[in-house]
Amino acid sequence: MKRYIGSKIRLGLFISIGIAAFIIGIYLIGQRQNLFRSTFRISGVFRDVAGLQAGNMVRLSGVNVGTVDIVSIVSDTSVNVQLVIDERARKFIRKDAIISIGSEGLMGNKLLIITPGTGNKKLIEDGNIVQTNQPVNLDDVFLSLKTTIDNTSKIISNLSLIAASVQSGHGTIGRLIMDQSLAQNIDSTIVNLRQGSDGFKFLVDDVTEGFAQINIKDILLSLKTTMDNTSRITGDLALLVRHVQSGEGTIGKLLTDDSLSLNIDSTVIYLKEGTQSFKTLMDRSQESWLMWGSKKKTNE
Amino acid sequence: MEKRISNKSQEIQNLNKKDVESPNHADANKKDKIVERRQTAREADKPDTTLDKFFIEVALVTLFTLRFFKEVFRPRFEVNETLKQSFLMGYASLPLVAITGFIIGLVLTIQTRPTLAGLGAESWLPAMVAVSIIREIGPVITALIFAGKVGSGIGAELASMNVTQQIDAMKVSGTNPFKFLVVTRILAATLMLPLLVIFADMVGLLGSFVGCNLEGNVSTQLFFVQIIESLDFEDLVPAVIKTFFFGFAVGLVGCYKGYNSDKGTEGVGQAANSAVVFASLMVFVIDMIAVQITSMLQS
Repeated sequence: MKRYIGSKIRLGLFISIGIAAFIIGIYLIGQRQNLFRSTFRISGVFRDVAGLQAGNMVRLSGVNVGTVDIVSIVSDTSVNVQLVIDERARKFIRKDAIISIGSEGLMGNKLLIITPGTGNKKLIEDGNIVQTNQPVNLDDVFLSLKTTIDNTSKIISNLSLIAASVQSGHGTIGRLIMDQSLAQNIDSTIVNLRQGSDGFKFLVDDVTEGFAQINIKDILLSLKTTMDNTSRITGDLALLVRHVQSGEGTIGKLLTDDSLSLNIDSTVIYLKEGTQSFKTLMDRSQESWLMWGSKKKTNE
Repeated sequence: MEKRISNKSQEIQNLNKKDVESPNHADANKKDKIVERRQTAREADKPDTTLDKFFIEVALVTLFTLRFFKEVFRPRFEVNETLKQSFLMGYASLPLVAITGFIIGLVLTIQTRPTLAGLGAESWLPAMVAVSIIREIGPVITALIFAGKVGSGIGAELASMNVTQQIDAMKVSGTNPFKFLVVTRILAATLMLPLLVIFADMVGLLGSFVGCNLEGNVSTQLFFVQIIESLDFEDLVPAVIKTFFFGFAVGLVGCYKGYNSDKGTEGVGQAANSAVVFASLMVFVIDMIAVQITSMLQS
């Protein structure tokens, strides 16, 4: 009977240890998945989740703070991802946080990375929808890398051509690098420049000294007297113009009186007739014998 | 008087004749009988081929299972006998299962290391070994060991009871032998195997830890953190659930084979042998089905 009770105790011990081990295992795994802690949920919409699965880790500053709960396709261009995050991480995540998809190493699992957001925004709340960053597709990277490499090889072949021509001393850069006479020229130019600049410096110094001697007050004073004179002159001129306009004086008559111009006109006509007749008189006098000698002289 | 004697001598002669002729005669008779039986079998659709036997076996096993479920919920319950069987199957199997689990964990770790080291992923060793032990190797190896130890034990015990007519005696004395012998054993096997598997998993992980530290150097904490990190409910829970079915299969097959054994000493050995073979086979079949269901549910 004693042995029978002993066996019962041992059986009970066996069963309880086994069940306890199972429960501890469940608890440890559940703890990892945040099942027994207070949590909150946020979600984000991606165009492509690159193989993200429910149960993947969520990291904030490299620390695991939660898991991916549901990955569901909403439409042909959007995938909704819901995250369960430890309540204790909430005070570090702002409303403008961004979630992006990364991976543990090259072959590792996918994971979500939360960028916490800026300090002046409100803290995130349960059920918020957060901005997302599209994951970098490795194929795209390779594709762009290929074009980059193609371009690079082109550039490198061009560069080698350039280097060859530079080495042979062609072109400006080639001469710059390979031709010694140029360097000497530059050298002497620089020497000249330095001398010139020395002279320039003296000049500048003189000018500044000269300016320093001139008194600006005197200049202003003389400028003022000049201005006064100018205004007086202009006043006289205005008076003069008024006289001329009213037809007084010779110039006024000349400009304003029509009769004078008529007189001048007729005088000019008379003068014309007078000179005409004087010309015929002179012609005739030349042909006469009295003026023989003078005619001979002019012919010679 | 003389006539009697002559009659007797004739009988003796006849007997001698029969003795001399008997082999041929018997053969002919046997052949005739077989032919006859086959004909009647065809006529009456009676079983004779192995396929028919197989289906009959299936039907009998199904009836046996149904009877178990009928009896298990019907009072009175044989609690003490069930506990005794649980002690014998569970607690008494613990050393065997622990040693097996430890060796499996150790060996699996040592064998996996070169492959992972070739990939440069040696740090994944604990995670990988943990997943394979928890998901597959722990349950299946333990169930096989269990089938070898317990299945054969049940088969031999019940068969020998059958042979020595103890079962019949029980029936006569008014005890329900099915309830007392079969239900308690199947129940004990079903409930004890999951516990044994949990122990085997634990000891296996311990063996894996030792294996990791044979060549590399992994701290206890890192090792167990990595294991917990790598495991999910989808790893642990289905693996434990399927061990109930493993235990049930082992108990059922052992009981069926023992309970329905042939009379005679041969029957005992045969029952024990076929119990182990079929129980192991059933373990693999159930494992395959369980994996299919699990992967179907996960996707």
